[in-house]
Amino acid sequence: MRRVFGLGALLWLAGCGGKDTEAPEAPPRAGGDTTINDRTSRAFAQAAPNLSLEHEALHREGDAAFAAVFVPGPAPVNPGLGPAYNNTSCNGCHLRNGRGMPVMGGGPQRTQLLVRVSLPDGTPDHPNGAVPVPGLGLQIQDQAVYGASPEASVTLAWEEREGTYADGTAYGLRSPRITIVMPDGSAPPSNMRTSLRLPPPVVGLGLLEAVDVATLQALADPTDANSDGVSGRLNTVWDVQARALVPGRFGWKANSPNLRQQSAEAYFNDMGISSPLFPEADGTFELPLRTLDAAVFYAQSLGVPARTAMDDAAVKRGEAKFKDLGCVACHRDTLETGEHPVAELSHQRIHPYTDLLLHDMGAGLADGRPDGDATGNEWRTAPLWGLGLTQTILPYSSYLHDGRARTLEEAVLWHGGEAERAREGFRSLSASDRAALVRFLQSL
Amino acid sequence: MFSRSLKLSLLVGGALLTGACSNDDGGNTNLDSLDQQLVVNFADAVVVPTYNLLATRMVELDAAAQALKNAPSATTLKAAQDAWFAARVPWEQSEAFLFGPVDSYGWDPAMDSWPVNRTDLDAVLGNSDKLTQQYVSGLQETQKGYHTTEYLLFGEGQAKKPADFNARQFEYLLALTAELKTVSGNLASSWTTGVNGQSPYRDTLAKAGEAGNTVYPTVESGAQEMLGGVLTILDEVANGKIADPYDAKDPNLVESQFALNSLSDFTNNIRSVENVYLGHRPESEAKGLSMSDVVKERDAALDTRVKAEIAAAIAALGKVPEPFPVSIKDPASADKIEGAQAAIRKLHDTFQVNVKAVILN
Repeated sequence: MRRVFGLGALLWLAGCGGKDTEAPEAPPRAGGDTTINDRTSRAFAQAAPNLSLEHEALHREGDAAFAAVFVPGPAPVNPGLGPAYNNTSCNGCHLRNGRGMPVMGGGPQRTQLLVRVSLPDGTPDHPNGAVPVPGLGLQIQDQAVYGASPEASVTLAWEEREGTYADGTAYGLRSPRITIVMPDGSAPPSNMRTSLRLPPPVVGLGLLEAVDVATLQALADPTDANSDGVSGRLNTVWDVQARALVPGRFGWKANSPNLRQQSAEAYFNDMGISSPLFPEADGTFELPLRTLDAAVFYAQSLGVPARTAMDDAAVKRGEAKFKDLGCVACHRDTLETGEHPVAELSHQRIHPYTDLLLHDMGAGLADGRPDGDATGNEWRTAPLWGLGLTQTILPYSSYLHDGRARTLEEAVLWHGGEAERAREGFRSLSASDRAALVRFLQSL
Repeated sequence: MFSRSLKLSLLVGGALLTGACSNDDGGNTNLDSLDQQLVVNFADAVVVPTYNLLATRMVELDAAAQALKNAPSATTLKAAQDAWFAARVPWEQSEAFLFGPVDSYGWDPAMDSWPVNRTDLDAVLGNSDKLTQQYVSGLQETQKGYHTTEYLLFGEGQAKKPADFNARQFEYLLALTAELKTVSGNLASSWTTGVNGQSPYRDTLAKAGEAGNTVYPTVESGAQEMLGGVLTILDEVANGKIADPYDAKDPNLVESQFALNSLSDFTNNIRSVENVYLGHRPESEAKGLSMSDVVKERDAALDTRVKAEIAAAIAALGKVPEPFPVSIKDPASADKIEGAQAAIRKLHDTFQVNVKAVILN
C-alpha cells in the first residue's frame, strides 16, 4: 500500500529523524520509514514499504506462516497442534493482525481470551519466572485435539458497575469474572493466581524491538525522582536463548525479552507446537526454525499505519488535552530506534505512544499475578499507534489487557495508580473535551 | 516499487460527504471527493445480496443433505453435491470483501478452514458421541465447514457412492450443514439487521464519511477498503491459491480438492472482483454508483482496460486443464497455469497502480 491520499501526501515530505520538533503541519510518520497509508481492515496486514526485495519475500513467507491453521499430526499439512491448546493459528487470535475478541469458549467463536496462572510459592521453571500450577502450567489451554482433555474449562461473566463523570454524566464499566473447572470437576488450587489476557495487535513490534535498552532506561524513573507521580521501570525476564536475565518489553506485562522468544512462546503455549526454543522433553520439535523465524520476521516487518485527520480541530484539541492531562508521561509519543538486525527498522523516529515500562495502574486493573519483576498491580504501557483502527479491523473488539473496556472512554476510566491523576483529569473534562480526546485517540 | 504520488487532495479528514449531490446515474463531477453513493451502492447491491444468497444456498444445501439421508441414491447424492457447488459460489464471490463482522464471531474459519483435520474427523466418525449441531459447532474449525462437508459428500477424488454413506456419516453431515446454515444466516444478519445488539454493518459501511463514523470516517476510507479487498484476493489467488500447490507440486495444498472445485473457486474470486468493480451482482441490473462509473468518468480508457483484464483473467483460468490437483504436476499444463497467474497479476497491478490513483486521487 504505497498510495498516498489526502494529507497523507505530507507524510512523504516530512523529514525523519534528526528533528527535535515536528512542524505542526507535518504529520508525524507513525512508523518512520515503515509507515503506510491505510485506514482499512487491512491496515495491520501490509508489509512495511521500505523492505528490500529479499525481505519482501521473507515477509510473504511469514504471512503464510501467520495464517497457517495447525491440525493434529500426523497430517500432510501443518501438523503439530496440541494436544491441548488455545487456538490453531497465529491469526486465529490476532484477527487481521489486530486484537482478538473478548470471548471464551463455545463455537463457532474460538476462544480468544486466555488465562495465565501461577502459584504464589514454589519453584519457577527458570530464574525470575512465575511458579507453574500442577496440571496447568502457566497458561490454561482450554481446548484440546480429539481424544485429549483440555487442561480446564473456563467460563467468563461480566460484572457491571456504574460511575459518573464530574459533569454528572453516567457511565458503565464492566470487569471479568472467570470460573475455572478442572477436568475432574474439581476447583483449581485456592491460592492460584489468574490473569485474563486479550490478544494484542502485532503491528509495530519490530520497531519496539529496535529501541535501545538504554533509551528505555533513560525513560525509567523507578523512584519517581522527578515527583510527577509516575515512576516506570523495566521488567527483568529470562531469555531462553541467552540463558540470562534481560530486560523484558513484549506482552501485557513485558514478560518477554524479544520477538523470537515471544513468538516461540505463543506457538508452544497457545497452539501446543514445540520449536527449537521450546522443544519436547526428548529434544525434538514440531516447528522448523525457518518457519518460526519467518513468522517473527512477519511481525517485525509489518507497516505501521499513518495517523489520520491530523488537521481536524477536535483531534488537535484532543491531542493537546492528552498532553495536558499527563497521558504522555507513559504513552510517550516519540521514540528513536537504534540498531536492529533488520536494517529497515534501524534508526527510525517513531510514534508508538509507549515507554515499554511497567507502571502501577492501581487496584481496579490489577490482576494480582506478578510476572518477572512486574507486580500484580503493574502493567506495561500499551502502545497506542493504530488504536483508531481497532473497530475497522475487528468490529466489536475491545480494549485493555482483558478486553474489559468496550470503548476508548472506558479504557481511560479504568486507569488508576500512577495514572489516577490523568484519569481524574479526563473524568473532569467537559463532554466536548472528552469527545475531542477520544477523537485524537481515534486518529492514531 | 511504485511512484509515490505527492498530489494533495483538497479535502482533509473530516466530513467529505457530498450526499446531497448524489444522483442515480452516478454523475459525480467533483474530482476532489468521492460520492458516498459509491459505498452505499457497494453495500446494498454487492455485499448484502452476496451474503443473502450465501444464506439461501446454505438452506438449500441443508435440505439437499436431508434429502440424501432420507433416500440415498445417485440422484439425491448428485443433488447434494450440486447444492454444495452452488453454496460455494457466493462465498467465493464474497472473498473480495472479507472485512467487517465475518471474522468477529469466528464465522469465516467456521465455514472455510483448510486443511481438513482428517485425524479427528475419522475419530469423531468412529466414536459414539451424539453428533448434534451444537457438538459440531464446538469442534475445531478444521472439522467442520465447507471442506469437511465436501469430504463427506465427495470422498477422495470424487469417489463417493450413495452406498458408501453410513448412518454416522449422515449424522455428521446434517450437523455440519445445519451449522453452516446458522453461521451463514448470522453473517447475513450481521449486515442487514445486526446481531448481538450491534447495529447493521451495512450502515457502518454505507455511512462512511458521516459524523461519528469512527470505522470509516471518510468516504475515501470506505473506497480504500473496497480497493484493498480487491487487491488482497487477486494477490491471494495468483500468489497463494495457485502458486502454493503449483510451486510445491503438492496436491495436498489445493483447496476444494475433494470436489475438484478449485478452478471454479478461483474464477468466482475474480467474479467477486468484477462485482465490486461493476457495483452489482450478475443477476441484477446496475443501479447505483460503481467504481467503474468513477473510473470511466475520470479515465474512460482505464475503465475499458479494467473490464478487459477481468475478462482475460477469467478466460485464462478457463484454459487451465481440470483437475487442478493433477494439472499442477503436469508439465503440459504449466503454460496455462502460469498464464492464468500472469493475467491475474496484471489485473492486480492495474488496480494497485492505476485504479487506485484514479479513485483515491
